[in-house]
Amino acid sequence: MTTEAVVATVHESVDTRTPLRICGNSTWLGAGRPVRADKTLSLQSDSGVTEYVPGDLTLTARAGTSLAEIQHVAKGNDQWLPLDPYGSESGTIGATIATASAGPLSATFGLPRDLLLGLQFVNGSGDVVRAGGKVVKNVAGFDLSRLLTGSWGTLGVITEVTVRLYARPRSDRTFVVPLTGSLVEQASVIQAMYVALSPFALQLLGVTVVRALGLGELPVALVRLGGNEAVVDAQLKALAKITKPGEIESEVWGTLRELEGSAPSVIRISSMPMRMIGTAARILAEEVPGVYTTIDPRRGVMRVAAGIESEGSEIETDVVNFDDLKSGEGSTEIIFEKLPAELWSRVSPSVVADPLSRGIKKAYDPFNILNPGILGD
Amino acid sequence: MTQPSASTQRASVSARLADIVGERHVLSRPSELLVYNSDGLPGYRRQPSIAVFPGSREETIAVVRLLAEEELPFVPRGAGTGLSGGALADDIIVVGLHRLKKILSLDIDNRRATVEPGVVNLRLNRHVAPLGLLYAPDPSSEAACTIGGNIAENAGGPHCLKYGVTLNHVHAMTVVLPSGEVVELGSRTGERDGYDLRGAFIGSEGCFGVALDVTVRLTPKPQTVRTLLADFTSVDDAARVTSAIIASGIVPAALEFMDGPTIRVVEDSIYAAGYPRDAEAVLLIELDGIEAGVDADLEVVRRICLDGGARNVKVARDDIERAKLWQGRKKAFGAMGRLAPHLIVQDAVIPRTKLPEILQTIHAISEKHGVLVCNVFHAGDGNLHPNIAYSADNAEESKRVHKAMTEIMNACIDAGGSITGEHGVGLDKMGYMESIFPASSLNAMCELRSVFDPGRRSNPGKVVPVHSCKEWHGVKSARETSAATVPPPLAAEPSRPVAQ
Repeated sequence: MTTEAVVATVHESVDTRTPLRICGNSTWLGAGRPVRADKTLSLQSDSGVTEYVPGDLTLTARAGTSLAEIQHVAKGNDQWLPLDPYGSESGTIGATIATASAGPLSATFGLPRDLLLGLQFVNGSGDVVRAGGKVVKNVAGFDLSRLLTGSWGTLGVITEVTVRLYARPRSDRTFVVPLTGSLVEQASVIQAMYVALSPFALQLLGVTVVRALGLGELPVALVRLGGNEAVVDAQLKALAKITKPGEIESEVWGTLRELEGSAPSVIRISSMPMRMIGTAARILAEEVPGVYTTIDPRRGVMRVAAGIESEGSEIETDVVNFDDLKSGEGSTEIIFEKLPAELWSRVSPSVVADPLSRGIKKAYDPFNILNPGILGD
Repeated sequence: MTQPSASTQRASVSARLADIVGERHVLSRPSELLVYNSDGLPGYRRQPSIAVFPGSREETIAVVRLLAEEELPFVPRGAGTGLSGGALADDIIVVGLHRLKKILSLDIDNRRATVEPGVVNLRLNRHVAPLGLLYAPDPSSEAACTIGGNIAENAGGPHCLKYGVTLNHVHAMTVVLPSGEVVELGSRTGERDGYDLRGAFIGSEGCFGVALDVTVRLTPKPQTVRTLLADFTSVDDAARVTSAIIASGIVPAALEFMDGPTIRVVEDSIYAAGYPRDAEAVLLIELDGIEAGVDADLEVVRRICLDGGARNVKVARDDIERAKLWQGRKKAFGAMGRLAPHLIVQDAVIPRTKLPEILQTIHAISEKHGVLVCNVFHAGDGNLHPNIAYSADNAEESKRVHKAMTEIMNACIDAGGSITGEHGVGLDKMGYMESIFPASSLNAMCELRSVFDPGRRSNPGKVVPVHSCKEWHGVKSARETSAATVPPPLAAEPSRPVAQ
């Protein structure tokens, strides 16, 4: 698969009015999203790093390149792409950008939109569009790169991506902190970590996840400290003043991502960090079999994954009690990432129904052939 | 029935605008409008027909709705410190937003603030500094420029090397579209699904509408800041050291480059910072974060500098010394006023490994055309700001300056760079858009703009050349403003030095 082949496929689909389902490594096919398509356009074979300049810390890859391959190439120069979306590393960079998927590192290194420098895509008319560039700072023209990020393939088929890399930290250590005591005490520990630390990642894990990871029977905080040795030592000292951290292998992050990524249902709830911290302890202690809860207090994001252990345990919006988050001042955003197919029509209204989004869709995909329905449109 | 004359029509629009904002906040006499006929880039002059200054969110909406009703084009404007000619209005209406300067809310715990578009960048920072927070983007014009203008340009600044540009620090905005409709982009309280309209709006250079309020992310102040000045007797050595620091993986908070001519101009000015006058280049490097970690990085950076040929590496002893070192850098463009009455500044970005090569090329070009290029720029990002002080009243000199600048820009484009890193395209760089984007990309940008502003009335004639837009050939306002689409890259009009 090349850009030319994508163009040819899109042209053919325009001529025959055949809607396309766009995918990378097919990871998201299991998300149950209601796509009305007759044909699949897979970018999986369009892979490979096309340009990598270690001195510039920039890397360009075809959309079908797996995250694992990018990490492998970058590692050769002691660099990495600090992007760790849930699921396995076999997911592609194109799909990661298209779905704006992010993981525990995002509170420090940014969301996909923040790491993206430029991309190439084929719009719904078959035009090859280049957005952004390969340099780390760029305001030339309107920002089509951000527009395409998280557009789930509905505005264009992403064919190539340029991202910013970072040097691998000299020290990268992970600690587990059991959350004990009253809910108030737990909240104050979480808040103290939020205020005092600048970790690479900070995730709060509910009891069900903790058990699945073999980390005990209590909710925990997973803390990833990175940087030069002096930074990590200083952070560890600060952490030890707040609580009793125990070091564990950093492989736990990969296990957590794969475990969560295997869930057939995932809901993402976001709110203000302090509101999330205030309710975190109660939610994490709540045990619902098969429901895995993780909270990133800095991003103010809670992920609820369900249906991992038993095929039938489907998620319903009332599985977890979100009332504390929903009530009071300010709002809570709920994003449905994955659901059993039959639930989509019930829970997810279109997220692109506003006039601006509709106008953009019509301009970039006038024949409505790119992933129609995937955003509830 | 006869058509009303232009002046009658202007008087009637002025009167209706005055009904909304009050008479003293509408200017229509040419002498009063002179102040608004340029921005921070003095090579361009365009006289607006009317300038209107709403004093509240409601007045802003009412003004935009009146202009929509009358189908009148307009240019939103903040403090006018931009460096691309982007805020100029060519015989159309300027909507100045500097009166909307309220900090609407501040949430210390959740590290965010909601402000009106006219809030000055530095004022927000002074407001949040006592709370241990900062707003990271810090354009050199921070003492005057507004958050609304920062949004329009996706502004950067020295510290965006580590902290990112405006885009990375905005949660949400309320925007009045050119149609008068008010929309929320992004989310104040969480993360939203759907198209990133907030991302599309940031950096849209006033073409997509007017921000009414902006919710920004605030960053905790770093525990420790260390500022170093490394001086070199060779530009080439300084350029190689820059590349070496970036390649080492250390991300400085800032990594700024000043060449010999810049150093001497700054040292001759009231902004003298104590840079060594006999140096051919200095690097101003800032490291911040946790104290122990910063000290460890500082040693690595110091070693890279000394191994790379630095004569001396000086570390600022206190905040006063640090502020002085920074003042020389931030006021460098202002100091250029000593050389000649006019200044032209570029904003190209190149891959950071190409820095030594490009600086040699720039030097060769300046020799060839007999012009003095001063280089003062964000080296860590590869964001160059080659600038030439000259007299626009001297036609022959202007021609040489223009030729040199065109060659420098083309060299940067050939090196795989971008034409602008933080100043925006505006009028100034529109002629280069076709050099870096294929027609399909420019058309996709036009289409996006048409969704936000179907009548193409908000800041017409900027960013994307009209002829790149398939669907605009028949649009009335596009024809009317097409004269502005291919600007003379260096208008030989009398102007003033860059005041920042």
